[in-house]
Amino acid sequence: MPSEDESPARRALGAHPWREPALEAWGVYIHIPFCPVRCTYCDFPTVLVRDQEVTTTYVNALIGEWWSEDIPPHPPLAVYLGGGTPSLLRPEAVERLLGAIEQRTGSLGAEVTLEANPDTVNGDTLAGFRQAGVTRLSIGVQALQDDLLREMNRGHGVDIVLQTMAAAKQAGFSAISLDAIYGWPGQTGRQWQETVEQMVRLDPDHLSLYQLQLEPGTQVYQKIRRHQLATPDPDETADMADWANQRLTEAGMTRYEISSYARPNCQGRMNQLYWTLNPYVGLGMAAHSFDGRRRWWNARSLPSYLSRVHADRDPVAESEDLGPPALMREYCWLGLRQVSGFTRRRFGRRFGVDPLSVFHHVWEELRRDGLITWDAERIALTARGLDLANRVMGRLVDAPVELVVASKEG
Amino acid sequence: MDSAHIRNFCIIAHIDHGKSTLADRILERTGAVAARNMAPQLLDSMELERERGITIKAQAVCLNWEHSGQTYKLNLIDTPGHVDFTYEVSRALAACEGALLVIDASQGIEAQTLANLYLALEHDLTVVPVINKIDLPSADADRVREDLVEIGIDGTEALAVSAKQGIGIDDVLVAIVNRIPPPAGNLDNPLRALIFDSRFDSYKGVLVFVRVVDGRVAVGDRIRFMATEKEFEVIEVGVFRPELAPVDDLSCGEVGYLAAQIKSVQDTRVGDTVTLAQPRAREPLPGYRPAQPMVFSGLYPVESGDYARLREALEKLKLNDAALTFEPETSLALGFGFRAGFLGLLHLEIVQERLEREYGLVLITTAPNVVYQVNLANGQTVRVDNPSMMPPAGEISEILEPVVDVSIITPAEYIGAVMELSQERRGEYHALTYLDPQRAMLTYRLPLGEIMFDFFDQLKSRTHGYASLDYQPAGMEPADLVKMDILLNGEAVDALSAIVHRQRAYPKGKSLVAKLRELIPRQLFEVPIQAAIGSKVIARETVRALRKDVLAKCYGGDITRKRKLLEKQKEGKRRMKSVGNVEIPQEAFMAILRAEDES
Repeated sequence: MPSEDESPARRALGAHPWREPALEAWGVYIHIPFCPVRCTYCDFPTVLVRDQEVTTTYVNALIGEWWSEDIPPHPPLAVYLGGGTPSLLRPEAVERLLGAIEQRTGSLGAEVTLEANPDTVNGDTLAGFRQAGVTRLSIGVQALQDDLLREMNRGHGVDIVLQTMAAAKQAGFSAISLDAIYGWPGQTGRQWQETVEQMVRLDPDHLSLYQLQLEPGTQVYQKIRRHQLATPDPDETADMADWANQRLTEAGMTRYEISSYARPNCQGRMNQLYWTLNPYVGLGMAAHSFDGRRRWWNARSLPSYLSRVHADRDPVAESEDLGPPALMREYCWLGLRQVSGFTRRRFGRRFGVDPLSVFHHVWEELRRDGLITWDAERIALTARGLDLANRVMGRLVDAPVELVVASKEG
Repeated sequence: MDSAHIRNFCIIAHIDHGKSTLADRILERTGAVAARNMAPQLLDSMELERERGITIKAQAVCLNWEHSGQTYKLNLIDTPGHVDFTYEVSRALAACEGALLVIDASQGIEAQTLANLYLALEHDLTVVPVINKIDLPSADADRVREDLVEIGIDGTEALAVSAKQGIGIDDVLVAIVNRIPPPAGNLDNPLRALIFDSRFDSYKGVLVFVRVVDGRVAVGDRIRFMATEKEFEVIEVGVFRPELAPVDDLSCGEVGYLAAQIKSVQDTRVGDTVTLAQPRAREPLPGYRPAQPMVFSGLYPVESGDYARLREALEKLKLNDAALTFEPETSLALGFGFRAGFLGLLHLEIVQERLEREYGLVLITTAPNVVYQVNLANGQTVRVDNPSMMPPAGEISEILEPVVDVSIITPAEYIGAVMELSQERRGEYHALTYLDPQRAMLTYRLPLGEIMFDFFDQLKSRTHGYASLDYQPAGMEPADLVKMDILLNGEAVDALSAIVHRQRAYPKGKSLVAKLRELIPRQLFEVPIQAAIGSKVIARETVRALRKDVLAKCYGGDITRKRKLLEKQKEGKRRMKSVGNVEIPQEAFMAILRAEDES
């Protein structure tokens, strides 16, 4: 494939600032939209399929898109196969995909994650993924009660989750992340504690705990609206989060991001790229890309994505240019997702100004409300701020840019 | 055209008895509108009117009709059908000589049928009873004829029609010509024309809707408004077909509009008389009952920067809505806004909806209240249209509240239920009369404040939809009322204050704070809600502090979506007003209306 060609995206969107020195680290996100069933809480762009033929066509398109993308001149830090259900792909397909990336960049980087659903893998496929270059698995557990899994339409029971975990270790994966959902309608505190306990026993090196978000258009949302399921109680949900936080801390895992826990040095690198406003190349239907200044995203439907790539056309659906004020705001509210916050020095290096002086009044207000704290080095959420991160982000998302001299602590 | 060939009439009816459909058929039959161009309820031109299926504004249309070799000019003036807009009805009636009284053949006489009939008789109109919907299987025209006799109308004169099926429309037109008298008035006298409505047009200025009583008005005339003493030169006169159709002049007996580059509606008071600068009429026409705002509510922009836009929007609405009143008001909690007066709750809702829909304003509307007359210990009397302005209890010798005489027509089996409801609302029983063995009319005197909000809904639900209601203002009467304050976070929020009956203050306060606890979302900190009379707290609840508010991580780097989500949440908050540092949603200001008595 002709890598030196100007990609249509590049022509359409103008030059990318890949060579900005502050933005060394970058990632590749590959969206695999296929799912065998639809989970009742999911509103991600997915396509129900069991047919490997479509996935072969799709992987070919991904490789085609990859070769026509403009990329930074050095290897990525991380590659992430997200979904949908990437584990529906055959290991050979993953191998071809990763092969193309390595061929062009020379290296796959430090971390190659594949999201896996327990009902789609076995010992052989897991070994095959490892062989293909996958270094890390993110396994969607969601709950460890058969009735809750059924309500979520997960397509597997608790036994399969446990088998998958064992098979993953057997296949040689040491970097394993588990996902679970709390605040499910009717989920009891006891059930949640059981889920967390069992996950701790499975000994992953990374955990993501998500409060259920009721997205319009999902089945669970509809059922709650029709009163077929109970509205989750905010206090019970908060108790679940607090209990898990304490239990995981005891188990030696550190909360490093609002919804993520990790053993030392086991943080998810792809997500860290997002939170530090670093660039990423997104491949596939509905995938998002960011070059440090501009974001763009591909067509959200499979046919239009495929037909565009087949016709050698750019699959980009839309893009947005983020001016410096928008970039600075995003840097702040994304950076604050990290428990340690972000450093004023890095912000300064990227934007040439102290973050405290740019959003002076908003920071003051947030500190007065006890939601954030700062010192000479960093700005971070307080414990209360972590609980109410949305409020903090809501204030930053349209914070007016001020040109005020930095406060004295700076 | 000589006035002998003019008939000015309106159609009056209880709501849903088919007034607008009959108007549509008359328009069609007289060729004012080709059948294929008919939108249902043609005279309801406002989007809101069609949506809600009600007529809010009086509308007029001029129709030509041939009968016995003569051409007649029929002016139909449509009238609103809701009890809130009785005032508009009265304006329309003043421009007519006759009225079609439409009665649903299966529903029979209802409360508004009576109220409208009495209004028409008050204006000396010739009433032509029309029994509509005779095509329905449940129609019983004979029973309606008998009932008509009971209310003093010759039932044999009633026409039987089906506006929906187009049956009997010609009979109606013949009756209009034969029974309704042509307008009196003298062409040789100086001009006297009654303003019955006005509407703002961005090109022509204020369009003044008039009924010419004496003389003639033509383009180029210099006219004078007798009450405001303002003079203008007429640039256009015309009639409604139903769109504006310019004509050379309007002479006595005719109904139409005139435009005179009038910028301000204040110059064209509805009810005023238009005459010429020269020769000038000596006496104005008798004015009619001016609009009395019955309920008051504070209107505040959520964004304080929108205050000027709100004022402009209210001024524009006022051009077409003589009954709307407003004056600037300041609230400690809500900032700068207006205290606006309305004919009733429907009127309030319509104004609010138009301000939001047509002018893009986001508003906080405080709970509507009636106006109180407060006699102070020092002998002075003050008028209080905002509960927070109620003087301290120690300075008050007596509070009077507005009362209304309510007539309710109900099937006899629900008399008990209606009496029970009226008593719960502090009603004073006046009379019970039977229209026929199955139907009775109950009359009560009730505080206006008690029937304003959900009385009609309650009445409908307790009588399975069969009862109908009408009411007339009946002055002011003393009552044992107290001001109840609501404190959020220890601070009294003036916009939440309410005037309540002393004996029911406790249950009301308890119910209100419970309601507020549900409506006020959790904040960063705990918010105590208290109801107090004077310095005495009578009820208390607490909105607990928000514990968690987090978003899951972004999927696949879709930060744009996440940002939009945050922005959307922010948008949701814009519908709330920050009072102190408590965010209060619009519904909280209306909570008092839903606070049940649990006594």
